[in-house]
Amino acid sequence: MKEQDHIPTSRFSRTGNFLKTGAKVGGNYLKYYSKKLLGTDDTDALQRENAEDIYDALSKLKGSALKIAQMMSMDEGVLPKAFTDKFTQAQYSAPPLSYPLVVKTFKSQLGKSPSEVFDSFSKNAVAAASIGQVHLAERDGHKLAVKVQYPGVADSINSDLRIVKPLVSTMLNISSSEIDHYLQEVQARLMEETDYELELKRSMVIAKACAPIQGLEFPSYYPEFSSGRILTMDWLAGKHLSEFLKTDPSQETRNQLGQLLWDFYDFQIHELRQVHADPHPGNFLFREDGTIGVIDFGCIKEFSDQFYNDYFQLMIPEITNNDKNFEELLFKLDFLLPTDKPEEVAHFKRVYFEVHHLLSEPFFNDEFDFADPGYFARIYALSEVYQNDKMLRKAKAARGPRDSIYLNRTYFGLYSLLHKLEANIITRSKVGTLAEHS
Amino acid sequence: MDPNTTQQNSDTRDVTQKIVNAYKEYVLLNGTEPPSIYAFCHELGISEDEFYTHFNTFDQVASAFWSQLFKEVLRELRSDQAYVEYNTREKLLGFYYAFFEALKPHRSFALLSFRDSVSLLKRESQHLTDLKKEFRLWVSELVNEGVRQGEIAQRSRITGAYDNIIWMQFLFLLNFWRKDGSRGFERTDAAIEKSVRFGFDLIEKNALDSAFDFGKFLFQGK
Ligand SMILES: Nc1ncnc2c1ncn2[C@@H]1O[C@H](COP(=O)(O)OP(=O)(O)OP(=O)(O)O)[C@@H](O)[C@H]1O
Repeated sequence: MKEQDHIPTSRFSRTGNFLKTGAKVGGNYLKYYSKKLLGTDDTDALQRENAEDIYDALSKLKGSALKIAQMMSMDEGVLPKAFTDKFTQAQYSAPPLSYPLVVKTFKSQLGKSPSEVFDSFSKNAVAAASIGQVHLAERDGHKLAVKVQYPGVADSINSDLRIVKPLVSTMLNISSSEIDHYLQEVQARLMEETDYELELKRSMVIAKACAPIQGLEFPSYYPEFSSGRILTMDWLAGKHLSEFLKTDPSQETRNQLGQLLWDFYDFQIHELRQVHADPHPGNFLFREDGTIGVIDFGCIKEFSDQFYNDYFQLMIPEITNNDKNFEELLFKLDFLLPTDKPEEVAHFKRVYFEVHHLLSEPFFNDEFDFADPGYFARIYALSEVYQNDKMLRKAKAARGPRDSIYLNRTYFGLYSLLHKLEANIITRSKVGTLAEHS
Repeated sequence: MDPNTTQQNSDTRDVTQKIVNAYKEYVLLNGTEPPSIYAFCHELGISEDEFYTHFNTFDQVASAFWSQLFKEVLRELRSDQAYVEYNTREKLLGFYYAFFEALKPHRSFALLSFRDSVSLLKRESQHLTDLKKEFRLWVSELVNEGVRQGEIAQRSRITGAYDNIIWMQFLFLLNFWRKDGSRGFERTDAAIEKSVRFGFDLIEKNALDSAFDFGKFLFQGK
């Protein structure tokens, strides 16, 4: 049980950090809501009560509900840190599946017990997954990772969503019809995540699609030893980022790894126009030789052509630096709404301009040093400023295209990984060629 | 042994089995017990007299079904090398998973068998009389083994009550399974997992963690 003791905590801390970074980058939103919810405004007793209700309800969440809440918090940066901490704690304190249940799952899904399928199979899990656990197995001298899902996850998604709905609508301060829209999407993606057969198919496709990127390793999957709730793949060597950093890798190696990550996402977003792998530290295994093992393709986000074409105009300086063009684009992307008053339009435009320029700074340079603490300090500072912004506080509706939520989430994750790696990388990307075409 | 007795024994078994099967089928098709033992025997083509050499009431027939199922599951488990190597906690888990798996093809009968009691915990079914005896016997062997191997804490007052506690747990799970509408009864699997962990933590160490986890599960299960 030794290994079990440390995995959840490290997962906890890395997820916590990830959320924190995401939250800070998305700052303006978050800080305001957290203050509002936590009732730091002392006169606001009602809000505090609200927060307590929410807190109580949240502490009762588990499994997929936690996942939803986590997704929400990452996507929108809306959950106060105290809550997100609570989530991650609760999630990773989920106790491991007993071996008899693993056996039962094997028997009912594959008709055989693990010892009949593999030459050896670790009775205890070697790692925790959010809705399951990972065992180490061996077959014909080959090491395998076997992911086994907790029972009843798919079935609890609906009831979990029902629990989460009122919380989310309180926190985002949006109407129940708007939230239905959003939750439907979340639900669909959660259902996909519980289907390991789908994950298997997708992983095979992505591994093929990303073959041109040298240095990434994707595991091979074994359909004959997999099913809806069991996923068998090659065991990948490598360490989680935090563990890897403890080995004190050279700057060169770190740059190489960072570059690889950057290229991977650049390729997914601009070449495939789909994001397959979540830039969550647990999904990457880093190696001394500058290569990376990539796991977990549970959910996928495709970007529609319309979204892609509109959104990436934000990366064209001729547009963003021209006040009129920029305003038009913001309206087109729903960052500005027809119902906004003129002073709101002017104000939000300034805010978006500032935030956007800061966050896309890496793109406007050929090279960017993610180790630069100054850059991240500026992001935090800006979010401090906007947390106290009166007009932003009053703005109710959720703004921006829904797809941008996923895109932002992806970049938050990527920036956070690169910052931890302290990588200095070449950030020239496809975006540059976009500008040339326009 | 006298060849006659052996012959007699296997005859008895055959008739017992015949009665159990016919009873089960009647209940399944009619949703209720046969109107009388006479009517039942008439249909089966045996004399009422013969029925009484095996059973006195329909409850006893139903009870025989449950006890047979239990014994079969146990026999199967004991022939499995993996089970033999399990520790006490795993043996109990292994039993529950195997039992509810074996119960699946009999779900309709099980639901009918318990239709009179909304909660088996509040109102224990007559149909479980035999199974209960055998189950508790098996559990006390299991507990003794666990105590010998140092897995279970010897607490003079309550060690003797473990078989009863675990029996209640079994009834709880049976109830849970009756109402479980999840695909493949996966919620029952989760209930088994959590209740056994909770139960064993009570016996072994600090119960709070698993109590919390189990409590959350129940709270949220609706
Ligand atoms: N193929 C593998 N080789 C080595 N380690 C692995 C492999 N697959 C998973 N692991 C380990 O298990 C952990 C969890 O796996 P994974 O990232 O697939 O789960 P998750 O994303 O949390 O869960 P889910 O897919 O259920 O949402 C990983 O962080 C890693 O440490």
